[in-house]
Amino acid sequence: MASTLDIESKFHFSREMLAGPIYRKYEKAIRKVWSVEELDFTQDALDWQRVTPEQQKGLLGVTIRFLAGEQAVTDELVPMLAAAHTLRRFDWTMYLSTFLMEEAKHAEFFMRWHEQVVGILDPDEVAPHFLVRGKTIDPTGRFEVRDVIHEALPDYGGRLLQASVGGTEAEIERAFVQFSAAYNAFVEGVLTMPSYEIVIDTTARWDAFPTLNQGFKLILMDEGRHITFGTEACRILIEKDPSYEEAVHEVFDAYRGNVVGLVEYQKAVPGLDLGKYQMMKVRHYRNRCREMRITPDEVLIEQILDPTIDFVVGVEAG
Amino acid sequence: MAVRWSCVEAGCDWSVTAAGADTIVPLVQAHIAESHSSFELEDMIEAVLEDVPDEGEDGPRD
Repeated sequence: MASTLDIESKFHFSREMLAGPIYRKYEKAIRKVWSVEELDFTQDALDWQRVTPEQQKGLLGVTIRFLAGEQAVTDELVPMLAAAHTLRRFDWTMYLSTFLMEEAKHAEFFMRWHEQVVGILDPDEVAPHFLVRGKTIDPTGRFEVRDVIHEALPDYGGRLLQASVGGTEAEIERAFVQFSAAYNAFVEGVLTMPSYEIVIDTTARWDAFPTLNQGFKLILMDEGRHITFGTEACRILIEKDPSYEEAVHEVFDAYRGNVVGLVEYQKAVPGLDLGKYQMMKVRHYRNRCREMRITPDEVLIEQILDPTIDFVVGVEAG
Repeated sequence: MAVRWSCVEAGCDWSVTAAGADTIVPLVQAHIAESHSSFELEDMIEAVLEDVPDEGEDGPRD
């Protein structure tokens, strides 16, 4: 006969959970659901015919990165769900169900925008517009620019998945902190923020692509929850074991080259004030550290603000 | 308790105190737009709010 404790283990909700920050994010995500089907791409398609070939090329350099990136982050989220399950954090699992749906929807948004505005969809149609990373170099040789989304996320995700099926609780937690630091804090929370702003600024300057602008703002609302879920989860785990703070810094250090300068697709749109985007990266980095209650790496901040660190971009589509 | 938000943009020491998250978010977003030509998301603002004594306990603030 099952004991009372055995039966209680089948239930996860508690008053403490409902009052906690992660469950509140789940509730907010449910309240804020939006649909790509509600968006009208007609004006954007007309604007695409109106702008110059140079403007088309610059904008496509950014949007194609988002098309690839949103598919990658949708595909790479499963390890976090597996870890939340193993760590018996049901509020994290509930929130992550909305997170995964939203990433899939962001991928759908970019797929529809490229299909209905530019007229491209299949991999062989979009791939030629993907700006290659190999020609973005630091002339001083100090920094290496890597493909953090397609390299770091599968790497840290694989380690987290492996820990979730056979590791100790501490191994899962450390791997979770590293994966979340890479996914939520680094990629979503610092590296990509200038790219959102570049597209929003571009659509405003050109007085064009209202639905691209609207879509970016809707996506950003979701991303604000994603990023602060990750940093809140890190804060909870770092509070439990302060040695995990070092795991966050290890991730930022491994991909330092990507964040100290602007990379090729962020320089693709002509006529923008690029210095502004460097300044905002510092703000976002400091805020992510503040959310995780960790000490920022002041050397990294100095490097982001250093005007002599400027990558040479030999931009060629792919 | 009231809440406070401090700007961490390089070279900026602006901060604001308000009664709660609902009232402080638009104030922060206006500062970021006007002073830094940028934006700050609601969840990110709420994530770094500090609790401070309210006006009745601590006197007026900026």
